[in-house]
Amino acid sequence: MSESNKDPGIMSQLHKTFFAKHWPVWVGGIVLGTLNILLFAIKSPWGASGGINNWGENVYALTGVFNFENAAPLGTSFYGMLCLFLVLGSFIGALLSKEFALRIPPKGELIKGFIGGSLMALGATFGIGCTIGAFFSGMPAMSGGAIIFTIGLFIGVIIALKYLIWEMEKFPKFSSGKSYNFFAGTGKSGIWQKWLGWIVLIITFVIAYQYSGSNKIMAWFIIIGMLMGLISQRSRFCIVKAFRDPFMTGEADGSVGVMTGLLVGLFGFTIIKYFGIGVGDVALRAREMTWVFPHFFFRAAIGGFIFGIGMTIAGGCAVGTLWRVGEGQVKLWASALGFLLISPISKLYIVPPIVDSLPKSWDFKSFLPDYLGYPGAFAFITFIILIWYVFVKWNEKTGKFSAY
Amino acid sequence: MDIKINETLDCKGLSCPMPMMKLAKAMKGMKSEEVLEMIGTDPGTKSDLPRWCGKTGNTLLDESELAGGVFRFLIKKK
Repeated sequence: MSESNKDPGIMSQLHKTFFAKHWPVWVGGIVLGTLNILLFAIKSPWGASGGINNWGENVYALTGVFNFENAAPLGTSFYGMLCLFLVLGSFIGALLSKEFALRIPPKGELIKGFIGGSLMALGATFGIGCTIGAFFSGMPAMSGGAIIFTIGLFIGVIIALKYLIWEMEKFPKFSSGKSYNFFAGTGKSGIWQKWLGWIVLIITFVIAYQYSGSNKIMAWFIIIGMLMGLISQRSRFCIVKAFRDPFMTGEADGSVGVMTGLLVGLFGFTIIKYFGIGVGDVALRAREMTWVFPHFFFRAAIGGFIFGIGMTIAGGCAVGTLWRVGEGQVKLWASALGFLLISPISKLYIVPPIVDSLPKSWDFKSFLPDYLGYPGAFAFITFIILIWYVFVKWNEKTGKFSAY
Repeated sequence: MDIKINETLDCKGLSCPMPMMKLAKAMKGMKSEEVLEMIGTDPGTKSDLPRWCGKTGNTLLDESELAGGVFRFLIKKK
């Protein structure tokens, strides 16, 4: 029997199942929705902008710029660590599938990455959350503000996509030019990526184990963060794709994947809120209001709009940026840098004076079950997702709203 | 495989959505049965491109990985 015809071993088959090809996005959606429920069960739902903001505060604290001496150290910040291990999880996923490479894009793309990341930071500060906290977790949390944030996202994405198409037509050189690719895992010589992947995976579990004695919640945030990164990388789970692609190529797969995650999350979040699971020291009402932010509706609308523009220009939402950082996409490194540098400044200096000038009645917490009851709120959000599904599938067939 | 290539699109270094946008634009300007060679480094293209071909009716003739993590696709216009 020749080498190529050799029957692969059981473990090799198992490895191929997970790492030979990308997973369908809806599989990623189901698993990410489930992990989101677990995060809520042990503490609070998934969020990304808070974690990236913590990174930024720590960078400023280290350099002594601005007043962030009291920033929570990264090792004590649940969401800072969740984001960090999401990057590492994606790194592991990319290594195990030999897809890691340091991909340095043309200059123009780096600039777009940084500007996109900065706008995402501004949008997340305005909207009190990003595509994860204020959308992927916010909708299942039955927050009225999340629906407004989503509408803002849509408008921002459509405008920014029009810009990208215009830029490509008028200034094609901006997104072309010299690029570099290092440490690719092509061919047999790339086997080092698999070994390194296993090593980083083991290190992650060792770190989680070290936390397990003193901070059990952190131990689980580390493991779940790593899994979220790995799954996002393997399934190419990206929220900007879900919003953008129907208007670009007409593709609906990314949208359906996100909808799947929303529905799974909605189911679990409703149960947790309804029964007050994991209430502990927190009052039932506080548990119900978790991830229902005081942004209805002006802050959510403005925040979603700015965030939508930012994520489309960057080519990655908050989570899409993080897992592409782990995969070695340097454009998204620029995006993450813009996000982490601008976020703390937005929070401290840029957004507060603007918000203070807004009518207070425009920034309240809107919990849908307060108006519709739990069954009504559940049905309402499911209905919105269903309408979205019908639209993207119809558009996929007809191409009515697609640019190409 | 001996295939006549009519046009080459270099998307090396670009990440989502630029490769798919550039591809869709390039294909628009081609005639039926013509073949476009696309080279790029974004792993996302490996799943985006076959799906897009399936949707648009264009044919993905060949897909390969070259040295240095560069992917190469040959697409025939419908």
